Amino acid sequence: MARPTRRRIAWLVGCAVMLLIAVLLSLAVGSRQIAPGEVLQALLHGGTSDDAQVVRALRVPRTVIGVLAGAALAVAGTVMQGVTRNPIAEPGILGVSQGASVGVVCAIAFLGVHTLTGYVWFAFVGAAVAAVAVYAVAAGGYRGASPVKLALAGAAMNAFLASVVSGIVTTDAHALDEFRFWQVGSISGRGSDVIGQIWPFVAAGLLLVATMARGLDALALGDDAAKGLGHNVALLRVLGAVGATVLTGAAVAAVGPIAFTGLAVPHIARALVGAAHRWVLPVAALLGPVMILASDVLGRIVFPPSEVPVAVMTALLGVPFLIALVRRRTVVAA
Amino acid sequence: MSRATAPTTSPAPLSVRPAGHALFRPGRGSFLVHRRAVLVAVVLAVLLLAAVVLYLCVGESFVSPVEVVDVLLGRPSPDQLVVGTLRLPRLVVGLLAGVAFGVAGALVQAVARNPLASPDVIGVTHGAGAATVAAMSFGLASHTALPYVSIAGGLAAALLVYVFAWRRGLHASRFVLVGIGVSVALGSLTQLFLTKGDFLVAQQAKVWLTGSLNSRGYDQAAPLATVLLLAIPAALWAARAQRAASFDDDTAMALGIRLDRVRLGLTALGIVLASVATGATGPVDFVALLAPQIARRLTRTAQIPLLSSALTGALVVVVADLLARRLFSPVELPVGVLTAAVGAPYLMWLIARTRSRSGGTTS
Repeated sequence: MARPTRRRIAWLVGCAVMLLIAVLLSLAVGSRQIAPGEVLQALLHGGTSDDAQVVRALRVPRTVIGVLAGAALAVAGTVMQGVTRNPIAEPGILGVSQGASVGVVCAIAFLGVHTLTGYVWFAFVGAAVAAVAVYAVAAGGYRGASPVKLALAGAAMNAFLASVVSGIVTTDAHALDEFRFWQVGSISGRGSDVIGQIWPFVAAGLLLVATMARGLDALALGDDAAKGLGHNVALLRVLGAVGATVLTGAAVAAVGPIAFTGLAVPHIARALVGAAHRWVLPVAALLGPVMILASDVLGRIVFPPSEVPVAVMTALLGVPFLIALVRRRTVVAA
Repeated sequence: MSRATAPTTSPAPLSVRPAGHALFRPGRGSFLVHRRAVLVAVVLAVLLLAAVVLYLCVGESFVSPVEVVDVLLGRPSPDQLVVGTLRLPRLVVGLLAGVAFGVAGALVQAVARNPLASPDVIGVTHGAGAATVAAMSFGLASHTALPYVSIAGGLAAALLVYVFAWRRGLHASRFVLVGIGVSVALGSLTQLFLTKGDFLVAQQAKVWLTGSLNSRGYDQAAPLATVLLLAIPAALWAARAQRAASFDDDTAMALGIRLDRVRLGLTALGIVLASVATGATGPVDFVALLAPQIARRLTRTAQIPLLSSALTGALVVVVADLLARRLFSPVELPVGVLTAAVGAPYLMWLIARTRSRSGGTTS
């Protein structure tokens, strides 16, 4: 086996181990500290002790949702960066997550939708509309969608959608009541029924994206080169947009808007295994959950007894990353 | 961040009296007045006066303009409570904050020669917001000290963005990207403080954070007015020097103007004004971005006119708050919701029609 491939496999295994550790920490750490042995005991043999109850009823659903959302957001970010050929593309920064939020708020306030399965579809629509709008705005004018224009268009879109959301919730008390629990990106308090409703969408999105790994590699070379290699560039873009929208919509519907996971993870993955998407995508799918779970665990222990929502933690961890990225000259010039 | 971007408009001809200007010689001094700018300022002032009267008349109960004037002149009136106690203090805060946001945006945009470099974008409002919410939630500062906490927060955030964006010079696009990043981080810090603080305080802070004039009064107006009284003359004085810089840096230097100091001073003034306005009203987004742009388009000048920007800022805030109060009555929207709903699409339009090279600098 060639050396680069062996190194990539080593990183893949390493990331899987990290994910395992993150899962274990997420199950064991919290306001009630539970020893890893007890956790395993509760998972394998059940039991009726308080610890076992906490692990199975609260920590397991929370951890599984974290894994699903983390994988979905990281892979969505990878695809968006690949399709737009832009290093700062990410569901949170580009307003796609906020678009999904607006979809959910409208569903609650105007259409009386009250179930997660109902939310999901509106989250998809909102995410898609916001993604298309931001890209269209940024692509206008000189030089197309540069990082600065994408970031500004995304910031403007975020501000606009946030004002729409607060406009709706201040005029509709019922919507506010239902929405406020969901609005701050958090993976706590989401029951196991959420998992059952979300995983098919995440699986479908991941599968769709997996099939286009080689297409994304070709796109990285430029539209002309991709065409020369026999790829349908327009079709790739549409598929990529659909995949990113489904993944973002599902993640946001489940956990609320969480930014920066989709930004940081693809860059880390590329630094580890190179630019080829058939390696970057699986590594990102493993590291995304690591970031979400690690942020969540950190959020549980920084200010006991209260918990910091995971979205706050990922933003605080992600922003230094964005700044480091921006300070690298190549990115600004792109 | 300004040196990288050349002004896209051609420099005005160096004649004694540029086109469209009138020369005034009161006493020893002499100064040029842009005729159109004066006209625009007068029209804006009239509109603002109309908006003020309308603002005081319209509400849950309608008060006729005659009675409003009665109240304003201190004559005994049955509408003293509604107009004098409820609407007037709120209006005063809105007017002052609008002026502060407008001038702040004009100063920062003039220095940067970039309409996108508004205090909202470079992290000032989020810094002021995070500092204020922290002080509120943890009870660090007394009620009267909050405006100063907010100024400190705004300045600190701007400094942070400056430091992070500096790398062998200040590139406009790096500045904007770092500004957005720092804004996001400060926004989530604010969320964090909200979850940490006392529940009742957190609710107050949350209302404040949407940028609202609701239940604002002279407590908030006083520090705002003080800062404006000090800052506006300073801004006018420094803007004269900045105007010389609008030709090119060499001309300004030949005229003996320390450009770097002037720029730094103007930027600092803009940041202070935006921060103190944010302290009074909460982050009313996009007024600082919008007002100078509207003013510049109305006056059709290359420079950003301070007076028209101030008037436009006040007009935007007053009209937006009037609409926010009445549009969905009996529910009152926070004014920040309305300015964001209008300002954000405008920003997107600005981005979409950007033609200059540095990806977001057009004027």
